[in-house]
Amino acid sequence: MSVVYSRRLKKELQEIQIEQADPTKRAAGIQLLQADDLKIWFFSIEVLGESLYKNEVFHLMVRFDPEYPFKSPAVQFVVSDKVKPPVHPHVYTNGHICASILGDDWSPTLSVMAICITIQSMLASCKKKELPEGNDDYVRTAPDNPKKTRFVYHDDTV
Amino acid sequence: MSSREPMWYCHECQAEMRPLMVPDPHCASCNGTFVEKIESEADDPRGFQASGPPLDNGATLGGGPGFEDFFLGLSQLMNGPRPQRRSSSGPPSPERGGAGGTGFRLGINRSPSGSQTILVAGPPTSGINRRGASGEGRHPIGGSLMAQYLLAMLTQRAGREGHADPFGGLGLLGGPEDGRWGDYVFNQEALDQIITQIMEQGNSSRPVPATDEVMTELQREVLEEGSPLLERDCAVCKEQFSLTTEDPDDQVIVTLPCTHPFHEGCIMPWLKSSGTCPVCRFQLVPQPEHHPPNGPASGSGSPGPPQVNRGTRPDTSPNGGMFGQFFNIVGGSGSSSNNSRTNRNLAPREEWEQGGVPGAWLD
Repeated sequence: MSVVYSRRLKKELQEIQIEQADPTKRAAGIQLLQADDLKIWFFSIEVLGESLYKNEVFHLMVRFDPEYPFKSPAVQFVVSDKVKPPVHPHVYTNGHICASILGDDWSPTLSVMAICITIQSMLASCKKKELPEGNDDYVRTAPDNPKKTRFVYHDDTV
Repeated sequence: MSSREPMWYCHECQAEMRPLMVPDPHCASCNGTFVEKIESEADDPRGFQASGPPLDNGATLGGGPGFEDFFLGLSQLMNGPRPQRRSSSGPPSPERGGAGGTGFRLGINRSPSGSQTILVAGPPTSGINRRGASGEGRHPIGGSLMAQYLLAMLTQRAGREGHADPFGGLGLLGGPEDGRWGDYVFNQEALDQIITQIMEQGNSSRPVPATDEVMTELQREVLEEGSPLLERDCAVCKEQFSLTTEDPDDQVIVTLPCTHPFHEGCIMPWLKSSGTCPVCRFQLVPQPEHHPPNGPASGSGSPGPPQVNRGTRPDTSPNGGMFGQFFNIVGGSGSSSNNSRTNRNLAPREEWEQGGVPGAWLD
């Protein structure tokens, strides 16, 4: 199992690095910031073109466990002095993201880049900047790892 | 040695003596560390020993003699009406642990400077439940379970009443703000959270794993020269099927009923967590009713309660005795915002592996 883990991630990383070097292949607005090992990667994400998040840049932290790709990675927006998470109905102020592909709808055919693109388009299609319902309660009690939260997916519109 | 210098009392062997002070005060006759200076008649440990533990006298927590009485009373409660006399030093012997059912110790060390250290110690706890179940033990709750309960209760209350943290000397953090500590809850709110969590699990849309029978009956083939599969990829590892793999197991291909092929080693771990095709979500076993993602990302705003952290059960402790228990308890704090948790979640493989339930959210 862990053989698949390292082989898959090395392959993904290699492909991302090739894509990043080639502007014609690169997913616009998504950039690999750091991938020193096969445990934690960072990306910057921005929505190009017209959107509620114009001119905003966000950082995404992706953490893997040896069960990847059979289990989804832990994905969240970085919250720091420099970068803030987007104000979005599915993004909590601690950076946790409620998206079904990170949970029940995960499939091992999905990849890190697929996650980034999904999250980017989740932002692009947002109609109204607002915090999730119950944000404060959740943030107060949230586990460090968003994978330990059991999200209920009930809103397919955004 | 001046006769006016106060004597010390050993709570382990009931000796009155002058302790050896290096490295820490310990009993000159039994080497026990549960020793107390006999300072005044009002706080005479010998008298306490004779009168037995008053447990319901409203002992004040967080300091003062009442707090200590409370602890000493608990010590006696756990170990019997009188502490058993021990002639040897060192950790509780096996007989002691076995016969008493708990082998549980509470202790307070006071240094001459007035600071105090509280010990809660028990044997390695993997056998606690077993002992309880066999009816051999006298206490249905014993050892570390009791210790955890007490610690949670005491630190929580001490914090609330504004007392200094009685466990500060051991570097403990404050009590759990939401009343949850590891697998245990201590207030109504925390219990409500657990109940909500259980109810949500009831109508969960979490994937259902494939059965062993389904998995063994899947179509398998070993790659051969000229196989049309050689032109295809495994959608899980993203590698093309090949006859030249280092591992011959990588030449065993499983084709699901929906005709999607995978390396056997790539599809089996997935089917154990979700009985679906990774490519087309064909259901090998019926899955819970589930709305497919509609649009880029379905999802929304109502998280269930955070999961109780199960990576820190006391019985997984490699150093179950003495201080090891403390650190287990500290580590089990369910809602601590301690930054070190970031690493905890990354590193130990076994913690991830506990998430063996399909769907990956809850262990």
